[in-house]
Amino acid sequence: MNVHELPMVIFTVVSQMSVGTFITLGVIQLVLGRRHDRATLERIIAPVLYAIGPVLVFALVVSLLHLGDMLNSLNVVRHWESSWLSREILLGVSFAAFGFLFALMEWFGWGSYVLRQVVAGLTALLGIALLVAESMIYYTLVTVPAWNSWMVPFSFFATAALLGVLAVGAALMATTLIRARRAETAVAEPQQSVPDQSETSPSGGGLMVQVRSRIRQINAPTSATEWKIVSAMLSWFALIGALVAVAILIAYPLYLGSLAANGSTAAMQSLEVLTGPLLWVRLACAGVTALILGFFVYRKAETTKLHRSTTLVAMVLLSLAFAFAGEFIGRMLHYEAMFRIGI
Amino acid sequence: MSNSAQSGRFDRRTFLKWSGAVGGTTALISVADVGVRTARADDPAATPTLVWSACTVNCGSRCPLRLEVTDGTITRVLADNTGTDKLGEQQVRACVRGRAIRHRIYNPDRLKKPMKRKAGTKRGDEQWETISWEQALDEIADKMKDIKARYGNESFYINYGTGTLGATMAKSWPPDETPFARLMNTWGGYLDHYSDYSTTAITAAYPYFYGTWFGSNSLDDAANAKLQVMFGNNPLETRMSGGGLTFVSQQARLASDVRTIIVDPRYSETAALLGDDWIPLRPGTDAALVAAMVHTMIADNSHDQKFLDTYCVGFDEKTLPAGAPANSSYRSYVEGKGPDGVEKSAEWAADITGIPARRIRQLAREIANAKPCAITQGWGPQRHANGEQSSRAIFLLACVTGNVGIPGGGNGARESSPGLGLVSPFNTGVKNPSNKMISCFSWLDAIEHGAEMDTFNAGVAEKDAGARWVKVPVDEAGNPVNTKLGVPIKMVWQYAGNALVNQTGDNNQSVAILRDDTLCELIVACDIQYTVSCRYADYVLPGTSAAEEFDLHAGENAPPMAYGIVSSQAIEPLYECRPVYDICVELSKRLGTEQAFTEGRTREDWLRLAIDESRKADPTMPDYDTWKKAGMYRRNAGPVVSMAAFRTDPKANPLPTPSGKVEIYSERLRRMSEKWQFGIFRPKLAGDVLVPLPEYVETWEGPMDARASQQYPLQVIGHHFKGRTHSTYGNVDWLMEAHPQTAWISVLDAEKRGIGNGDQVFVFNERGTVKLEARVTERIMPGVVSIPQGAWYEPVPTSTVAPPGAANADHPVDVAGSVNTLTSLHPSPLAKGLSSHTVLADVVKS
Amino acid sequence: MSSEFTQAGAGYGFFFDQTLCTGCKACQIACVDKHDLPLGILWRRVVEYSGGGWRMVDNTATPNVFTYYTSVACNHCESPICMQVCPTTAMTQREDGTVFVDQSKCVGCRYCEWACPYGAPQFNAAVGRMSKCDLCYDYRSVGEQPACVDACPSRALEFGPIADLRAAHGTEAGIAPLPDPSVTQPHLVVKPHRDAQAWDRATGHIANPREI
Ligand SMILES: Nc1nc2c(c(=O)[nH]1)N[C@H]1C(S)=C(S)[C@@H](COP(=O)(O)OP(=O)(O)OC[C@H]3O[C@@H](n4cnc5c(=O)[nH]c(N)nc54)[C@H](O)[C@@H]3O)O[C@H]1N2
Ligand SMILES: Nc1nc2c(c(=O)[nH]1)N[C@H]1C(S)=C(S)[C@@H](COP(=O)(O)OP(=O)(O)OC[C@H]3O[C@@H](n4cnc5c(=O)[nH]c(N)nc54)[C@H](O)[C@@H]3O)O[C@H]1N2
Ligand code: SF4
Ligand code: SF4
Ligand code: SF4
Ligand code: SF4
Ligand code: SF4
Ligand SMILES: [Mo]
Repeated sequence: MNVHELPMVIFTVVSQMSVGTFITLGVIQLVLGRRHDRATLERIIAPVLYAIGPVLVFALVVSLLHLGDMLNSLNVVRHWESSWLSREILLGVSFAAFGFLFALMEWFGWGSYVLRQVVAGLTALLGIALLVAESMIYYTLVTVPAWNSWMVPFSFFATAALLGVLAVGAALMATTLIRARRAETAVAEPQQSVPDQSETSPSGGGLMVQVRSRIRQINAPTSATEWKIVSAMLSWFALIGALVAVAILIAYPLYLGSLAANGSTAAMQSLEVLTGPLLWVRLACAGVTALILGFFVYRKAETTKLHRSTTLVAMVLLSLAFAFAGEFIGRMLHYEAMFRIGI
Repeated sequence: MSNSAQSGRFDRRTFLKWSGAVGGTTALISVADVGVRTARADDPAATPTLVWSACTVNCGSRCPLRLEVTDGTITRVLADNTGTDKLGEQQVRACVRGRAIRHRIYNPDRLKKPMKRKAGTKRGDEQWETISWEQALDEIADKMKDIKARYGNESFYINYGTGTLGATMAKSWPPDETPFARLMNTWGGYLDHYSDYSTTAITAAYPYFYGTWFGSNSLDDAANAKLQVMFGNNPLETRMSGGGLTFVSQQARLASDVRTIIVDPRYSETAALLGDDWIPLRPGTDAALVAAMVHTMIADNSHDQKFLDTYCVGFDEKTLPAGAPANSSYRSYVEGKGPDGVEKSAEWAADITGIPARRIRQLAREIANAKPCAITQGWGPQRHANGEQSSRAIFLLACVTGNVGIPGGGNGARESSPGLGLVSPFNTGVKNPSNKMISCFSWLDAIEHGAEMDTFNAGVAEKDAGARWVKVPVDEAGNPVNTKLGVPIKMVWQYAGNALVNQTGDNNQSVAILRDDTLCELIVACDIQYTVSCRYADYVLPGTSAAEEFDLHAGENAPPMAYGIVSSQAIEPLYECRPVYDICVELSKRLGTEQAFTEGRTREDWLRLAIDESRKADPTMPDYDTWKKAGMYRRNAGPVVSMAAFRTDPKANPLPTPSGKVEIYSERLRRMSEKWQFGIFRPKLAGDVLVPLPEYVETWEGPMDARASQQYPLQVIGHHFKGRTHSTYGNVDWLMEAHPQTAWISVLDAEKRGIGNGDQVFVFNERGTVKLEARVTERIMPGVVSIPQGAWYEPVPTSTVAPPGAANADHPVDVAGSVNTLTSLHPSPLAKGLSSHTVLADVVKS
Repeated sequence: MSSEFTQAGAGYGFFFDQTLCTGCKACQIACVDKHDLPLGILWRRVVEYSGGGWRMVDNTATPNVFTYYTSVACNHCESPICMQVCPTTAMTQREDGTVFVDQSKCVGCRYCEWACPYGAPQFNAAVGRMSKCDLCYDYRSVGEQPACVDACPSRALEFGPIADLRAAHGTEAGIAPLPDPSVTQPHLVVKPHRDAQAWDRATGHIANPREI
């Protein structure tokens, strides 16, 4: 394994997962927003939303490790007119900034709902643009046949979609479960007040009070409605995830075939690396992900009761783990396949 | 040094660390930033100066270097900037090695102080104590006196060493022109050697064919040829200077587009770049190829019968000398009427050489019909167990086609080149009182049993001015004469040579002989690097490099130009290094011959004298001071057409053979064959015969052995390599990066063994095992492996690197890949020379 | 004299005579010596390209093999993809058309290295930045030839304004293993070896991958 590219593997996979997660949350808002009350939805979504920020910042920081001379790192945005790498950095930072802004607004209930939605929409667009920029970095390199292929944007977006829905699914399941457990223990602690669920925005008091009240809101136990919503979403996620995983499985042979047809020495060298043992691991991961999602999660999601949800949660987490491993290894292969035309 | 002296074993890593610390060489050769720093931009205050220097190694070229010196340190190496791109006044651009000389001068392996083998340790244990110059010279002189008292002067031997042959005051070759030889000559003489490692077989073959050494026409003259055929001649790798034969042969090609055919088991750079066509053949089979081509020519009647009748003896029965048996002519040999009764048809040769019969006939016709045809041979064909035969056979081809002595033709030898004709009284002024010589390759034998060696059993000879200084051991009446050596070698002086171990042959066996210090009692090595040979010395003296000296350097192999270089001292001697001249002066003081040695002259006086004496014959040459300022001096001397006088008038200009003619059949060889003894010090092997004709002789470890052998089916040669000059430059990081040591192996042989390009492999035979990287290539004939000669033998115990099961486990594994770990000390039959390209081995993936 | 070889708009490049190149690497070493390059960084490299095969009949062997060398540095391209992709603008073009790495800007992302089909940008791990042939700018600015050009024993290298080189030697630049020249439009003219193969019809392989 080329250790040198490890930061890039981490950065791309994690940033794509972040974008996927954010957009998944956005879609949930859009689709379910009409059917359910805002508060319930926000309570479901919020913890996931707050998790994206640190994850993305981690990814951006890791990406710096790829640079040889970090002292000059501010220069990387200078050439945005021409370099997709500059654009990627700009978009990555903007996505993070807007995402952070949106999270703050959500947290503190700043701005109107519409304004928040606009910010969320912009963030999502930036996220998509980030995915485009990330793939263009590789796709536009006509000198690397393995990269100069539809496979790069496809796989980057697929990573975003797959890990996005699964991360959201897993996070929702996990928070739901944790909240449910908390509720059970909370019975033994009568002094703990049950927060008012209808309270949509905290009013009055200092910042700390606000924060504390927000945390209390977040930690409130799962309600039956919530579980219903979450499990319904989960079956959708499972369906989408399984389809994306299957698409990945279909894409590989097509991609490898097109590389073989390319015929250049560089393409052949890439092909040799791409068809090594890691490929099978990578495909197996996607396959297992699809199987778990399709045959277990999708089928069981809506019928599983909250108090008997442990297996389901475990399966969702497992599918995320396989999906993540698959995308991670797939990305390692992507970098390993870097063979230039020429010399 | 104190560390390693205390810790006992002289460990290479410790040595490197130590050298880095003391010399600060690491600081000199590492930089903080790339691409922003040059000597100019770096520090405007330190203005660099340019000093004329030279690369003095034995590569068959000679290049001036302009050293950029900043603050007493060489910061850049620049090439000649005088002259043009025109033949005759060409700019002599240094090759890849010369350009890397900065890292040879400032090398962590540089010797720094005199060293003495620790008492109680054996040679090769590498346990040293550093001593003062005073102590080193005192002890060496005392030991020399002791040896002289017990064994006499002929027990002193100057070993082969060519590292500074391109100098005058620092000259390391020929041995009799070196400072130490002068010193010994003032002190009663020493045992000299004849010939050289380059040309032992062909040098021995010459007297019996052309009478003495005649080169072929110079390569620029190939422009006058209709066809150029090179047998194992590789100017593009063995004459790499940009003023030397790489440049010359390419320019001749550009000027004339002369069609060029290369006969070589390897698709050499010369075959790939200069050649139009390549004929690969099995190593050691040139004489078979020639015989079959002559067979075709006779059948076609396309040979030059007139030339053969007029200028040669022994091609036909009618020109055989009196006394020769019937059917002993070359024609009889070819037609199958000789003793072996085998017709030398193309089919016969195809089986031996590996060249299809059709191709052989085609080549014969092409050569016969090209008038004139420039036929040359490199020295690869003759560095074989039957090398005397191969070289004579290729001479013969030039005669059969009548190309000798004419422009555009040639005599089948290696190309000639004009020189300035420099003379130097320092080098030749004192004669050696001893007249005895051994072959350059026989010294290990002479250490073991010098007292029993004579002409018939070991090629002991007497001095002459002839082909590489040896007298043909046959008197006027045609009777072979025997000369006895009488004493074994007791002291070996090794200056600027790595031939104690590494360049000689059979490294493991050489080490075994040298380790016994009751045989040879004193070995002194003087070099600039801690070489393989230094490991096996008793005293190691740190010499200076050309950059630390000033000298006169004769140009080499740049026809039609003759040139020379006067170099200046660029930097102070590093560490405690001393020029060999100074070392010999100091020794002469201790031996009581200082006056005879120096004649009251300084180093510079001697150089002035050399140029003054040379100017007596050629006053157009500049005087010392003018030359020193200019660095380079060149003039167009015109192409060399070899043996032209003989061709024009053979009666007036007879060859120094008994017949005065070209001796295709040598009666002297026939007479010698009756007296020659084999199997005295070493076993008698196939091919240990003297034969009067240049016929194909099958030998030990030849292609037929390879075919029959399950154990060692591959023929191993060791071509001269662009990354090194022999072993010199072999420790330069830049060059190791540019030209790494690899074993060339054909795609077919590699496939059979599951070896991929870049894999580590073992190459092994009874004599040793090497481990190195495989270069799987289309560029070598299947059945042949080539391991470029000169890598620095690095034996590691079998406990560290286990040899493959089939290898001889008694030997260490040489992890540097020195081909001489595989070669034999068995001498060739006539020349008693090295047969480095005659080796069988097998290869397995590591 | 001083600006003779740094004329604005000249578009300097190399002419390489493949019929003369022996793969000796004097050019490579001259560059390394000139610029004090550490091991592993070669601004000029020499590629051996070989191929073909053997016919074995009975005990005979007939070759049909080829080998030729290509000495390459940065070609100071007309469309320098290295510059396009560089995020920092460290990859910079001088007025005379030559491309160099501005060390004060480079962040060492190695994107140019991925992009350049000539392998010209070489990462200097010790300082964390890219390095590359600058066509010996300092030599040229005092009217001297680039070190590699002056070094070639076979006179296989020339340098000059690309228009002049093309006028003298033609326009070939697409010899394998060099890439399709339309990608970056290199300022390079090659006089092909007799066995040279076009980049898109190549049958051989790089024989010395570890040396370049
Ligand atoms: N297997 C095999 N063996 C061979 C050959 C072969 O083809 N195959 N070829 C043979 C031939 S042709 C030859 S000529 C010999 C060559 O064998 P050698 O004459 O031993 O040649 P080098 O190995 O170059 O050793 C020269 C030494 O001179 C030292 N030297 C260089 N410059 C200086 C200097 O300025 N001052 C001092 N004091 N020392 C210096 C170097 O460090 C080096 O140790 O090898 C022979 N050995
Ligand atoms: N770069 C470099 N140049 C050198 C030297 C060096 O070490 N490095 N050494 C110098 C010295 S001292 C010398 S003596 C010369 C040596 O010059 P040569 O003796 O000519 O060199 P070799 O490489 O031994 O052999 C020349 C060619 O002969 C081929 N060959 C081997 N065996 C046979 C055979 O049986 N028949 C035929 N037809 N070809 C065969 C080899 O593949 C090789 O390509 O080179 C000099 N030049
Ligand atoms: S090794 Fe020979 S060709 Fe190369 S620079 Fe030295 S003298 Fe010239
Ligand atoms: S110096 Fe000249 S001949 Fe040697 S590798 Fe470079 S371009 Fe080729
Ligand atoms: S050769 Fe490569 S580095 Fe040089 S200008 Fe062209 S694209 Fe850029
Ligand atoms: S490594 Fe430096 S020169 Fe290359 S693309 Fe990155 S910033 Fe630009
Ligand atoms: S022009 Fe200068 S920097 Fe470029 S390859 Fe040649 S020597 Fe190196
Ligand atoms: Mo030699």
